Amino acid sequence: MKVTKYGIVALAVAIALLYGGCKNTAPSGPVAGLGGATVGKYVSIGNSLTAGYQSNGLFASGQAYSYPNLIAGQLLVAGSNVGTFQQPLYSDPGTPDPVTGKASRYELISWAGPVIGPRGLNPGSPVNLTLPRPYDNLGVPGAVIFDFLDSTDVSLKAQPPRSNPLFALILRSQAAFGKSIFQQAVALHPDLVTFWLGNNDVLGFATSGGVSPSSPTSTAIFTGLYTQALGTLHAALPNAKIVVANIPDVTAIPFFTTLGPKIKAEIPAGLVLQYQKHGTTGVADGTTNFTEANPPLICLTGSPYASLLGHPTGKWYRDHSYPALPAGIDTNQAFGFDPRNPWPDALVLDASEQATASASVQAFNSAIASVAAANHAAVVDINGFFNRIKLSGYQTSGISFTADYVSGGIFSFDGVHPSDQGAGIIANQYILAMNAAFGWSIPLVNVAALPALTVPLSKGSNVYPVIPDGAFSELNMLWGAR
Amino acid sequence: MTRVRQIGESVLLTLILASVALAGGFQLNEHGASAISQGGAFAARASDASAIYYNPAGLGFQSNGSIMLGATGIDPTISFYGPLQNNTNAETKMNSQFFTPINGYVVYPVMDRLMAGVGVYNAYGLGTDWPADWSGKNIITKVDLKTFWLTPTLAYRISDELSVGVGVSYVSGTVLLEKAAPFDSRVTLDMNAHGWGFDGGIDYKPLPRLTVGLSYRSKVKVDASGSAGFVPLIPVLPGGGVTTTITLPATGYAGVAYKFSDVLSLEADYQYIGWSSYQNLTFTFTKDGSTQSAPKNYNDTYILRVGGEYLMGCMKLRAGYYFDHTPVSDPYVDPLLPDASRHGLSAGIGVNITNHLSVDAGYLFIKFLDRTVTNTIAATSFDGTYKSYANLFSLDLGYSL
Repeated sequence: MKVTKYGIVALAVAIALLYGGCKNTAPSGPVAGLGGATVGKYVSIGNSLTAGYQSNGLFASGQAYSYPNLIAGQLLVAGSNVGTFQQPLYSDPGTPDPVTGKASRYELISWAGPVIGPRGLNPGSPVNLTLPRPYDNLGVPGAVIFDFLDSTDVSLKAQPPRSNPLFALILRSQAAFGKSIFQQAVALHPDLVTFWLGNNDVLGFATSGGVSPSSPTSTAIFTGLYTQALGTLHAALPNAKIVVANIPDVTAIPFFTTLGPKIKAEIPAGLVLQYQKHGTTGVADGTTNFTEANPPLICLTGSPYASLLGHPTGKWYRDHSYPALPAGIDTNQAFGFDPRNPWPDALVLDASEQATASASVQAFNSAIASVAAANHAAVVDINGFFNRIKLSGYQTSGISFTADYVSGGIFSFDGVHPSDQGAGIIANQYILAMNAAFGWSIPLVNVAALPALTVPLSKGSNVYPVIPDGAFSELNMLWGAR
Repeated sequence: MTRVRQIGESVLLTLILASVALAGGFQLNEHGASAISQGGAFAARASDASAIYYNPAGLGFQSNGSIMLGATGIDPTISFYGPLQNNTNAETKMNSQFFTPINGYVVYPVMDRLMAGVGVYNAYGLGTDWPADWSGKNIITKVDLKTFWLTPTLAYRISDELSVGVGVSYVSGTVLLEKAAPFDSRVTLDMNAHGWGFDGGIDYKPLPRLTVGLSYRSKVKVDASGSAGFVPLIPVLPGGGVTTTITLPATGYAGVAYKFSDVLSLEADYQYIGWSSYQNLTFTFTKDGSTQSAPKNYNDTYILRVGGEYLMGCMKLRAGYYFDHTPVSDPYVDPLLPDASRHGLSAGIGVNITNHLSVDAGYLFIKFLDRTVTNTIAATSFDGTYKSYANLFSLDLGYSL
């Protein structure tokens, strides 16, 4: 029995060793860091995409997920000392619609429809007004490339024709910090600058159906402004890392891809959509059944009108305060199906307008690439990235994103600006580009941990998302005349 | 809305795949403390009532009726490091869990040479419980799989050297799965499954000290049905009825045991698992009859087992080892089933308390090989390293007539 006891003891010891001696330890893998670089200040420059504008409004709970704020958070994880990234926060529900004075943010109003649009809430107010320096996020909704060096007083930009009060919100104390976005950025002495301007130089043309403005910024002017902008920035901050993003093809966004397929499915047999081509104000000069090679793209702003197809209606002309019907228009005819009551030019991007927009995007991006190279700036190929998403979506951590409206997950309710998760995806493209260009190892944003869009489209009797009249007036302000 | 529906369907698809995957890496071969203590190398000797699982022919060489009741406690520790897509090596620890699959066997001599028995055990089980908000929450947060096998068995001793046995299994199971779903909802899939299988074995003693055993357990086609529920309720996502057919793979043992002396016997087994039957999985929504299919591409695999027993007075000392080769190739590894090849090291004792009453206790330590996957399929897109080990404690009470 003595041997037995020893046996039991040996067994117990062996078990204890096995049990206690095992612990999972981290494998070798990515180590967060900036390769020895010091990043004490990060400043972002851009437009609404950079500001964290989403669902047709600027509001604090969306700004919290602006891609620059997400990048700043990851910079901290990687050991930088950028501190708190200061943004021109606007308390929920956000900025007002210039027409109604109510918060312009879109939400799901009703399952029936569904209806997506502003709730009619009183707007929020600026909440980060005591910061004794410029904001780190200098993304100004509505900014075009021209605005970067422009030192026009912000109070004038709030007046027509710009009618954009957000310059005054974001570029405060012009006397102290400088009048332009450029000056306020340089006043912060950043080690890292992200620069994403130029989208609005073509997007305003596209989202207005090629009406207002009637052409994108010319390539010569764009190239000149971009060269001047980046050259000036680099000269003022010779040691700062500069990262620029190029311009995605505007025709890939849900603002243009949502309504067309729905209308296609609804057109009665034997009929075609009668629409106005670029510059036309009278009788339809374009027809489509959406089966041709390059069908016209229907703007999401057409949502309130899509359900009126086939009805005799003059709603478009009433909504837009036409003093009299344009020549040749007869609103007693079937809207959209009769050439005398055509689908308006402002709600459609026809083939020639698409070609114009695409040509501008291509030309702008080639200018961006060469100007960036000349100024030692890294380039984020957002255009290539979104083209891949359009083709095959984007998968991460078991989530499958697409470029579809709402259900795709990347775009917010306005069909143009990214959702919280969409901003995370964009932030990661910046981080990947910075890691590659600078030898850094910044961990990527965990997109799965960001809030997803909270409400999907419902299966309703109305297949169009119903977006109330005037809901896009804020959007028009952003990209309107300049 | 097609797109939204597709999202919902793919959500369900991964859930259902989870139940299949669990049946792979979490197949349970631990159905008796004596066998567990010996690395599971037991198909040749099959010398107690757990023969109903390991090799029904083993009953033919048992002359007395017996009852055996027991359970195995399983304490796994699983960590994920990644995802590498996020350029991070951060650790996520699975929540600690403790599982207790049971085994109960009754064996009775019907007549000379003919033994009858019935067994109840959990041939597939275990689960997954990741933190609710972890980075893989859109792949899986929770899996709870239980299967109960009821196996009536007959064994006949043809001669003193040869015995054969057969059994039929009724399989009943439940599957509960949870994960994050689109629009910040969570989806739970609750399914019940039923199926039938059979098994057979042969035990042969060509020499007085040598025993050769073969056993085979058929694949079991399990028809599963249940419902998917979203919280909060998202009308556009396809909740409601879902059915699928899951085929649990065939498995076979080939064992050789040799009795070196009156007190020492050793055995080596080769276990084969026919996982290649899982190339695709198709499921059906009862709402509209639509179906979807997904590739799984499992491989046939094997387990090598060695073990032995040393008799010391009234006490039996046992030890064993096995190597279990994973059926899942790298692209298909995901946190539903952090599968990897693994080593198992076991020890245990058996004590005859009286002439009728015995107690068997076993301990098994399983160390999974660290597994780093860098090419997961697009739908998963979740690369990283899995590290796992598990402690198993097994206890059986035996009463022989």
